[in-house]
Amino acid sequence: MDLLGNLAIGFSVAASATNLGFCLLGVFVGTLIGVLPGIGPVATMAMLLPATFHVAPVSALIMLAGIYYGAQYGGSTTAILARVPGEASSLVTALDGYKMALKGRAGAALAIAAIGSFFAGTVSTLLVAMFGPALSKVALQFGPSDYFALMVLGLVAAIVLASGSLLKAVMMILVGILLGLVGTDPNSPLPRMSFDVPALAEGINFVCLAVGLFGLSEIIYNLEKEIVRPQAIPFRELMPNREEMKAATPAILRGSLIGSALGILPGSGALLASFSAYAIEKKISKTPERFGEGAIEGVAAPEAANNAGAQTSFIPLLTLGVPSNAVMAVMAGAMAIQGITPGPQVMVKHAELFWGMIASMWIGNLMLVILNLPLVGLWVKLLQVPYRLLYTSIILFCCIGVYSINSSVFDVYLTIAFGILGYVLIKLEFEPAPLLLGVILGPLMEENLRRAMLLSRGSLSVFWERPLSLGLLLTAAVLLMVVLLPSLRQARDTLKEE
Amino acid sequence: MVTTLTRRHFGKLAAASALACPAVVQAQPAWPTKPVRILISFPPGGSSDFVARAITPALSEHFGQQFIVDNRPGAGGTVAGDILRREQPDGYTFLLSNNAPFTIAPTMFKKIPYNVVKDFTHVCYLGATYGGLVAHANVGVKTAAELIAKAKANPGQLSFGSSGVGSIGHITGNTFCRAAGIDILHVPYRGAGPLRIDLTAGIIGLQFEGIVTSVPQIAAGELFGLGVTSDKRLPAVPNIPTFREMGYDVSVKNWHGISAPANLPPAIAEKMSAALADICTRQAITDQFAKIGNYYDPMTSAEFSAFVADQIEVWRPMIIAAGAAGQ
Repeated sequence: MDLLGNLAIGFSVAASATNLGFCLLGVFVGTLIGVLPGIGPVATMAMLLPATFHVAPVSALIMLAGIYYGAQYGGSTTAILARVPGEASSLVTALDGYKMALKGRAGAALAIAAIGSFFAGTVSTLLVAMFGPALSKVALQFGPSDYFALMVLGLVAAIVLASGSLLKAVMMILVGILLGLVGTDPNSPLPRMSFDVPALAEGINFVCLAVGLFGLSEIIYNLEKEIVRPQAIPFRELMPNREEMKAATPAILRGSLIGSALGILPGSGALLASFSAYAIEKKISKTPERFGEGAIEGVAAPEAANNAGAQTSFIPLLTLGVPSNAVMAVMAGAMAIQGITPGPQVMVKHAELFWGMIASMWIGNLMLVILNLPLVGLWVKLLQVPYRLLYTSIILFCCIGVYSINSSVFDVYLTIAFGILGYVLIKLEFEPAPLLLGVILGPLMEENLRRAMLLSRGSLSVFWERPLSLGLLLTAAVLLMVVLLPSLRQARDTLKEE
Repeated sequence: MVTTLTRRHFGKLAAASALACPAVVQAQPAWPTKPVRILISFPPGGSSDFVARAITPALSEHFGQQFIVDNRPGAGGTVAGDILRREQPDGYTFLLSNNAPFTIAPTMFKKIPYNVVKDFTHVCYLGATYGGLVAHANVGVKTAAELIAKAKANPGQLSFGSSGVGSIGHITGNTFCRAAGIDILHVPYRGAGPLRIDLTAGIIGLQFEGIVTSVPQIAAGELFGLGVTSDKRLPAVPNIPTFREMGYDVSVKNWHGISAPANLPPAIAEKMSAALADICTRQAITDQFAKIGNYYDPMTSAEFSAFVADQIEVWRPMIIAAGAAGQ
């Protein structure tokens, strides 16, 4: 009853003409910046923050939130069409989405990404509305040792991502961790592996790595192949067919739940969500060999997960007043400017704002589907553009995007260098995805391990005394066994045969 | 210790800066005739960003030209400092100067791309925010005296979090521990956000960050405010004693000001500082400042220049003692 009443208040706020307008503006801008690699939601929200000064707080927050989850939608577009992840969270989508595009199923991949995101948005909006306050406690259960254990589990799961050699995947993860550790040591003011280059003192920019290793390398690789232009596709073939829908539906459902759960955790919730969802789909699939070759579940699940995660990541901010990532920190700043101190009292003192925002998320998701489905045809037509024009414009947009993050030319060179490295990796049949996960999870793992060790005064016992840490580490161990056993058995069989 | 240092350096540097200013008289063109940019050394959402956004509408109104905020974060604020150094002193680029690039960076980094005293004109002071020591309820202390007693009984067993090595919270915490003769372990975080999560959960018990954001949690009894780093009690938390009155010489200012490239024409500097001196005492602006705990005191341009130079010397021993120097 209370829930219905609250949602009624929320929808009455969110459905006012002004707020609908701000919501549309937010998701539209979000979609655009999601499509452009490099320009992320944090920078955009920060740039638009001053514009929200003279607007009612709820309208301002509705728009800023729209930019954030709108970017999650848009980010998958370039990931599918050109293997350039527009946002870090659409990295995983690039794996199978791009393969689908190569097979002429770009339309289906884009449509399922939009549908999956909408469904996940609906599920997570309901979850936030029903359990928001209770779920916020989850974020507080995780101490540094638990985060370390979670990152270990994440890295083990990253091995599952690999479709080729396990050994190569492990090597890529380790290289990724090393790259991730470049920059200033977290517990002292000293730089590590930065070779006195000031631009490296704060670490390697993740966008440079992702755009270089994924996008540029693919363009270089394509130059040596004979170019086959995709045929023009009639509109009805743009939509997923019945088999595809059947395969994608359970994946979307699972992705939504995984995403909602991991999104609550501070840190890289949305990214962890998308690749956990992918790893799980691959693990439970009867035909795991299809993953990495254009499996629609490999698009549906991570897209649902990253959108669900984006939405539930508002929970810690709205219910505890703790921003869980950079985007939420900007949201907290916007609230402060409006004179609202983020915290548990927001729900009581500013009930209209709290429920209005939640309701607007669902409305925003609906707008995104309406906005994105007709665009699918347009995006797919882009693939018809001659490669000499398409590729040069992709490279141009990548360079602008990468440059705009820090106004740094060094970052552009770095991106090119990673592009060449990525090409070498393709030739040697190494996959870049585990490397990128190593880059993201490695530093978080180090930071939390060292913090856990500081807090426990060097005693390793925290890892078995805290049930959460122990549980996560045991899960990681089991997963590692499950992954390694078949290949070990295979190796033994091969030896026997010889 | 801090007071004597402050006063001594203050006088000496004020005199020096007065001598260093050549009395160049030249015809001043009308200023401003186009939009004016104010650089911020941090991403949006922080206290210097907030201060800049509070004053820019009033400046735009006063001068009839747009004052634009431009966030250029990076490398402990030195990126923005370097951009300002390269700009022309034509009155169209200013920096919202603060501790990070101008007080801490000169000691914390081995090499920075500018000289804080020589490369800039320090135009005016905009006030300072102050830190506070808060303890999670599970630490079991309600006053600084109880904390010190507990820390002395259990040396090295308590921990305080900060938003990073060389952050104000880190240096304040270290200074307090030395003043009180106690041993509390420093645990650095990446920014104030993750630290607040662990503080709320009680995983880390103590922090010396800005006090205003903790006010709701103090009111709710989840956190206890043990002391503030200002010289007088803060209006936002009048019940929390200052470290000074408890006998510990911990006085830390997270100051904000306006600086320009070196050799800014004095006429422009005067117009700017006169306008801001008026703006910063308006009720509407002081109300805004109070939201983040920024308190303004009047200071002339000469006093502010001396203050900026003096702060480097005041902080140097604290930064070195905290082990945050020499990157």
